[in-house]
Amino acid sequence: MRKFTFALALMGSTAITAPAFAESHLPIVEEPLELTIHMHWARAQGYGPGGDTSKIYPVEEVAREKTNIHLIDQTSGRNSTDQSEAMNLLLATGNLPDIVGGAKVQQPVNEYGPQGAFVPLNDLVEEHAPNIKAWFDEHPDIWNAIAAFDGNVYYIPYLPDGKYARAWFVRQDWLDALGLEQPDNVDELYDVLVAFRDQDPNGNGEKDEIPFFVRDWEEVLRLLTLWDARSTGADVYHQFYLKDGEVAHPYAQEAYRDGLANIAKWYEEGLIDAEVFTRGSSARDYLLGENLGGMTHDWFASTSGYNIALADKVEGFNFIPFLPPKSVSGVRIEENRRIPMKPDGWAITFANEHPVETIKYFDFWFSEEGALLANFGVEGKTWDMVDGEPIYKDEVLNSGQPVNSQMYLEGAQVYRGYPQDYRYEWQWTRESAREGIELYDTEDLLVEQFLGVAFNEEEQAVYDKYYPSIVTYMLERQQAWILGSGDIKEDWDDYVETLNKMGLQEVLEVMNSAYARQYS
Amino acid sequence: MSDLEAKVGGSTEELVIEASEALRTRKASRIERIGDHLRNEWQLYVMLIPTVVWLLVFLYKPMYGLQIAFKDYSIFRGVAASPWVGLEHFQTLFGNDQFLRALKNTVIISFYGLIFGFPMPILLALMFNEILAQTFKKTAQTIVYLPHFVSSVIIAGIVITAFSPSAGIVNTVMGWFGIDPIYFLTKPEWFRPIFVGTGIWQEAGFQSIVYLAAIAGVSPTLYESAVVDGASRWQMMWKITLPSIMPTIIIMLIIRIGNMLEVSFEMIILLYQPATYSTADVVNTFIYRQGIQGGQYDLAAAAGLFNAVVAFVLVMTANTISKRYSRTSLW
Repeated sequence: MRKFTFALALMGSTAITAPAFAESHLPIVEEPLELTIHMHWARAQGYGPGGDTSKIYPVEEVAREKTNIHLIDQTSGRNSTDQSEAMNLLLATGNLPDIVGGAKVQQPVNEYGPQGAFVPLNDLVEEHAPNIKAWFDEHPDIWNAIAAFDGNVYYIPYLPDGKYARAWFVRQDWLDALGLEQPDNVDELYDVLVAFRDQDPNGNGEKDEIPFFVRDWEEVLRLLTLWDARSTGADVYHQFYLKDGEVAHPYAQEAYRDGLANIAKWYEEGLIDAEVFTRGSSARDYLLGENLGGMTHDWFASTSGYNIALADKVEGFNFIPFLPPKSVSGVRIEENRRIPMKPDGWAITFANEHPVETIKYFDFWFSEEGALLANFGVEGKTWDMVDGEPIYKDEVLNSGQPVNSQMYLEGAQVYRGYPQDYRYEWQWTRESAREGIELYDTEDLLVEQFLGVAFNEEEQAVYDKYYPSIVTYMLERQQAWILGSGDIKEDWDDYVETLNKMGLQEVLEVMNSAYARQYS
Repeated sequence: MSDLEAKVGGSTEELVIEASEALRTRKASRIERIGDHLRNEWQLYVMLIPTVVWLLVFLYKPMYGLQIAFKDYSIFRGVAASPWVGLEHFQTLFGNDQFLRALKNTVIISFYGLIFGFPMPILLALMFNEILAQTFKKTAQTIVYLPHFVSSVIIAGIVITAFSPSAGIVNTVMGWFGIDPIYFLTKPEWFRPIFVGTGIWQEAGFQSIVYLAAIAGVSPTLYESAVVDGASRWQMMWKITLPSIMPTIIIMLIIRIGNMLEVSFEMIILLYQPATYSTADVVNTFIYRQGIQGGQYDLAAAAGLFNAVVAFVLVMTANTISKRYSRTSLW
């Protein structure tokens, strides 16, 4: 504890005495300055190519040259691939490096920041980080979304770019074989699925087609949007969503009752994969490869790859994205989208004696030069500027390795706090996926995302006390209804009453009070 | 002394003196004997040290952290600096219907495991012991040991495939008899039989090793004299083998009872669904969802502590009962 107050005092004094620059200047420091970093994410447990900290990223070399700040690895929990575990280990040892970064930093940083483990960044950004400030001035909602309950921001997030994530895919060759059009609304969708079930589109003489299938069973719930209900409000399943400016739970709405009743009906009629709950991640490979699956809701990028992969195996195979069918009230939405900010990024710890230099360093990655370096790697090595556009070299695009995997080894696309640039991904997106994305761009399909709230301690206690049990109960009932044990329309009043008895109203209350504090 | 006097009753004084003399020398020589014992057998005690250190470091020192069950634990503040909250976490647990359900499920699943799972390795060991052809015996043993060495994830994959309504062997066989396919893994009433059955299939073979070792330790002279007396193999098994390994069986049973609440929860996580929570959710999976995934280490510690207390009571009870009725016990 003594170490902590000392560092706080030290930080306070540097923040006051350091002169405020209007613009960031490079190099940030005259003499090389070493800062230690914890960097733990899926592709690398440690700040070095593939987690090998004895090597230095090419991107880091350039960043050192430009900023004179050297990041030195000090990652905890390197033998674990679980970021939360590594972070907890780091915090429990109390021996914090200057910078803590990687995946899933938001929750710990916002919980332990107010307790003094991390430095609030509001004033530092205001005074020393013009590029970060400019970015968030344009996106004030995201600044609000990353703040802790005390109103301070404790981390600079990784900010993904691009809009769409998952889309509706259909076997166009099956539609053609049966002389059908792509379904434009929920009724047409029903007819198409029935036709897939009954009219033997794969032509093997057996009634073995599975009209609608998914890899994660939760994707079945996307069908709810066809009855104007919702399955989630964020990029994780079963989340709260925004209903008329208030936080609400999708599974406590009347539209959900009607939507789920219809899903149960479709399941019973064999339009939805009977084994949807246990088929798991191999469902797509298996059902497409065996020429059995007709329609799904899945990622643009990976799903569009099957047309090439299965060209030889399944004759005439053509699995393409189509616009979300219109709901019963005539609304067309795509519920799933890329989230604009991730819980990943980096933060400054109380142990850091150079918070001003560090925030200037963070700011470098938001400058044009830094953002290009963070997105595309080293100029001249992996990409060139062509007519003002960063274009990957041919050997990068045609190396046989996915471009993202190459970037991770270069030190680009690492989970620093930085704004991702969609031009990076577009260059190696398959033609069929590009067409799909352009199709989805022809209409305004996206719905507002619920970016989450930061609870204070009392709110957190209420949430922790009630919500885990509530969501368990919701999911139990949901699956039971889909599987046909119980009728949602008959059980609905009891269900709502039970939810309220379990504390749903209390949870909604703290959700909304936190939401009002954070976003008003 | 009064005991001794009572025993010798009305004997002469000399006898009493002689007896107490003997007692004194025995006392003195006991300390000497321990000293001798340590000198002669020191290698054994050196070999014991790593285990003792392991126990202290991994089982006794962490007990310090048990206090977080009574605290509002913050990782950053640390164990000592986190504020006390008394029994709040226990109240939260016992006020939660899902925890009580999980407790019930744990006891039921463990009980099934005990009834159906405990005798299996003993039966297997007895059966292996009766096999005379060595090649057949070795092959059979290897086959039943094998599932133990396969990862739970793969076992779960096999189970999911085997019970699949469209392609699973179980439903296929049922189809031959005209029974409609059942989506077993979403049916609460089927979860426990499938889980317990999987556990037996996976572990019974490996667990039989202990009993085979015990059987190997039975003196051959017993069997030889039985053969001379004209006993059948069946009689030898019932009258010699089984009684001889009974102490091992009792010890294993006591240990098993102590682990009653420790259901192998990774297998449950791999096999359960929200649809089957009502019969499948056990204390450990509840802790996992509520505590570890939600970051509520203090609540998880409270549930873990509760588990440990129940396990302790169970072991003590089983041990006492066993001691009274069979004179075999852990301590």
